[in-house]
Amino acid sequence: MTKQPVRLTVNGKAREGFAEPRKTLADFLREDLRLTGTHLGCEHGVCGACTILVDGEAVRSCLLFAVQVDGSEIMTIEGLERDGELHPLQESMRDCHSFQCGFCTPGFLMTAYAYLQEDHEFSEAEIREELAGNLCRCTGYQSIVAGVQLAAVRLGKREDVTTW
Amino acid sequence: MVRFVGQKVVRVEDRRILSGRGKFVDDLILPDMLHAAFVRSPYPHARISRLDISAAQQAPGVAAVFVGEDMRKLCNPVSTSLAFGVKFPEFYPLVTDKVRFVGDLVAMVVADSRYAAEDACDLVEVDYDALPAVADYDDAIDPTKPPLFDELGDNVVITNAPVTWGDVDAAFAEADRVVTATLRQHRVAPVPMETRGAVADYDPSTDELTYYASTQSPHGLRLQLATTLGHPMERFRVLANDVGGGFGLKGSVVREDFCIAAASKALGRPLKWIEDRNEHLIASGQAREEMVEAEVAVKADGTFLGMKAKLIMDAGAYPNVPFVSAMFVGLMQLLLPGPYRMKGYRFESSVISTNKAAYVAYRGPWEMETWVRERLVDIVAHELGVDAAEILRKNMMLGAPEDRLITGITVKGISSRESLDRALALIDYEAFRKEQATARAQGRYLGIGFATFIEAAPGPAEMRPNGGMFGGERARVALQPDGHVVVTTAQAPHGQGHETTLAQVAADEMGVPFEHVKVVHGDTRQTPFSVIGTGGSRSATWATGAVLMSTRKLKEQVLAIAAGMLEISPEDLEILDGIVTPKGVPHKALPLAQIAMKAVMDPSSLPPDTNDGRLEGHERFTGENITGSGWSGGTHVCTIEVDVATGRVKILRYVVVEDCGRVINPAVVDGQVCGGVAQGIGAVLYERATYDGDANYLSGTFMDYLLPTSAEIPHIEIHHLETDPDGEVGFRGVGEGGAVVAPATLTNAIDDALQPFGARVSDQYMPPAKVLELAGVVPA
Repeated sequence: MTKQPVRLTVNGKAREGFAEPRKTLADFLREDLRLTGTHLGCEHGVCGACTILVDGEAVRSCLLFAVQVDGSEIMTIEGLERDGELHPLQESMRDCHSFQCGFCTPGFLMTAYAYLQEDHEFSEAEIREELAGNLCRCTGYQSIVAGVQLAAVRLGKREDVTTW
Repeated sequence: MVRFVGQKVVRVEDRRILSGRGKFVDDLILPDMLHAAFVRSPYPHARISRLDISAAQQAPGVAAVFVGEDMRKLCNPVSTSLAFGVKFPEFYPLVTDKVRFVGDLVAMVVADSRYAAEDACDLVEVDYDALPAVADYDDAIDPTKPPLFDELGDNVVITNAPVTWGDVDAAFAEADRVVTATLRQHRVAPVPMETRGAVADYDPSTDELTYYASTQSPHGLRLQLATTLGHPMERFRVLANDVGGGFGLKGSVVREDFCIAAASKALGRPLKWIEDRNEHLIASGQAREEMVEAEVAVKADGTFLGMKAKLIMDAGAYPNVPFVSAMFVGLMQLLLPGPYRMKGYRFESSVISTNKAAYVAYRGPWEMETWVRERLVDIVAHELGVDAAEILRKNMMLGAPEDRLITGITVKGISSRESLDRALALIDYEAFRKEQATARAQGRYLGIGFATFIEAAPGPAEMRPNGGMFGGERARVALQPDGHVVVTTAQAPHGQGHETTLAQVAADEMGVPFEHVKVVHGDTRQTPFSVIGTGGSRSATWATGAVLMSTRKLKEQVLAIAAGMLEISPEDLEILDGIVTPKGVPHKALPLAQIAMKAVMDPSSLPPDTNDGRLEGHERFTGENITGSGWSGGTHVCTIEVDVATGRVKILRYVVVEDCGRVINPAVVDGQVCGGVAQGIGAVLYERATYDGDANYLSGTFMDYLLPTSAEIPHIEIHHLETDPDGEVGFRGVGEGGAVVAPATLTNAIDDALQPFGARVSDQYMPPAKVLELAGVVPA
């Protein structure tokens, strides 16, 4: 199958490669650009592990072909750090012991990152609804919800965390 | 001095996983690497009449196509030394005659990309002659159904004769009531977010085979692979880096593993196989499918007299290796009566084979005993009109020195009663009952359920002579020339945070900064042998104990050297923050680096009794220093509201009272509890690996196999009892309890909510349709 050029801005850097039209964006990022932080948990759009930002919007990279997003701006989990320092979202997740095995982590981080760009209440119930498109099998979600809420506080989006 | 144990130390693992720099097996790309895809059976049971791979072999990018006969030449039959007396068939990595479940392995295509390999799979032509399917317990004992394996004669894997403790007949003769129940547990699956996968890398120039895997047990995997491939073990290395969850599943060695390793060796090139989710849900293995017919003899006041139970397990088509699943029946038998006093108990069981995916271990693989027992308590309570809490208190052992399960095991020191009382106080049981009555009067259906469990993690001393079934566990703790410490563990973590928790333990025991400890795992060239790896809630006690004893040994060597250098007795030395300090004479302190450097650069000057300057502790921990009851356990209680219009079950509160002894890292422990509870809730309300009456599989995607999300799992309130917190190795296992007791807790609550309808919950799977059926809204 003939490969086509794919030109992207990924985490602020211009990247390009060639992909068969059927190659998914997730596979292109992982195999061609060697950005293996984005994970594939189901390849049918349910688990959310492959969530990335395309032009600022959280999308599932397993449901897109690389050629479809030619010319787009992409952000992956590798783009969260600044100068080797964790983003406040990452720090909050670390402080809350949000994750265990780490496989679903990239999808949750990117979903939460997009959510935290907007203004919301960031109540426990709201966070649970917002994260319901991502699956985690280790944590029972409680620590992830706590991490997102702490990040909302640290990013000035909310006054304080819910205490139990 | 304890500085790190007991603290919510931030995990070492998190820096890499939060920044996308974890190293999972699919992240590995080797030069010249090929990719595999499998042709799988669409039939549950069929004979292969024609198999034509010629078109696939010619497809673009294809390097090779393997069929059953190829694997028969490359491999020995799959075997295990842990078959526990079951009938074990002869089989190979790919089928050689017929397929035995939907997803069975017919052929393997190896190509230069996964895309090309999958394209070529579509070109493999297979004709099947369908055979009658063996789909359930009844089919398995039906003599008109064909055996899955001709040479075994039938589909019964093992029949265990009745075993009796006490005088069960006298107990039943004395009874005011005999309560009977048939309780069915459905197939669910562990479903780690990372599927199975491996990269095999055979180097023809050295005959070395390196197998990178997503596994819970690198040594178990190496042992199985080397045996089946007939490959010399000194040239066989298994490596596991970050592993994206396992929950028991990745302790299994699967037929795909043998195929990948054998093909890499045959082709002399690296070969990757990453299972896709559809393959995973169809073929990676499922668990929990059991049925129990039980009778409980009771007095009218709720005093237990005796119990009889007959269990049947559906083990699927192929035996699980290295641990055949039939072994879990033994644990169920032992633990089913629980810490409740009774005069007699009889248990019998059988394990059958069906045209389904293999039965694999899943978090608390003996869980059926807790679900059945705690459900029976509830059923007895309803039959007698006595409160279930009262029945529990009346029958529950308090952990007195003489207390034993009726099966003979000591339960001295268990905290079941304390956990029950605490849980019911936390949920305010009396107040909830009033609220429930008010709600019922308004046509709202609230329910409360609670259940208590005990878990032998590690179990009392008599269950673990000389370290028990696995001979304890080993670890190696070595001082580096710069005074830092490397801990090498037999654990194979896949989310449990051992790089953090074992470092906490070693840092405290050695007296070094936490950041100076590195935990090494997952490399069979370095790690001590363990056939189980991480599993069985073993790490808290066994791995920690091994690290503690090995660190202690290292510390003795270090202090002996320092004592010589300082001309002082070792007893008068302590290590603080990586510096050996004479007690009360801080200015004469020696950094560990100075001692370690002397040991490597000037070993001839060392005093005797310093292990020849190796500065390494390598101990087998067999449990002598374990303190406390040996039993983890606790009580869970939840309150729910059932919507009888939709069948929806909403969990209002979920409270956990847990006793896992001394807690190493509270955040890690709470994570284990929450994760287990979520899996238990999922099993009851959402998850089912569904086969139809002809054993066709119906749950091949995440839109059919439903995992609970953050919107379904409630906030879980966790309280710790920490009995024996000051013991030496007073840490007990906590990985499995949540998953073990949550199904009983939730099904008891559903049953309670539906009492106005005279309902009795006998199936563990309670989707909306079933709830509506029990409420009489839709016909059964």
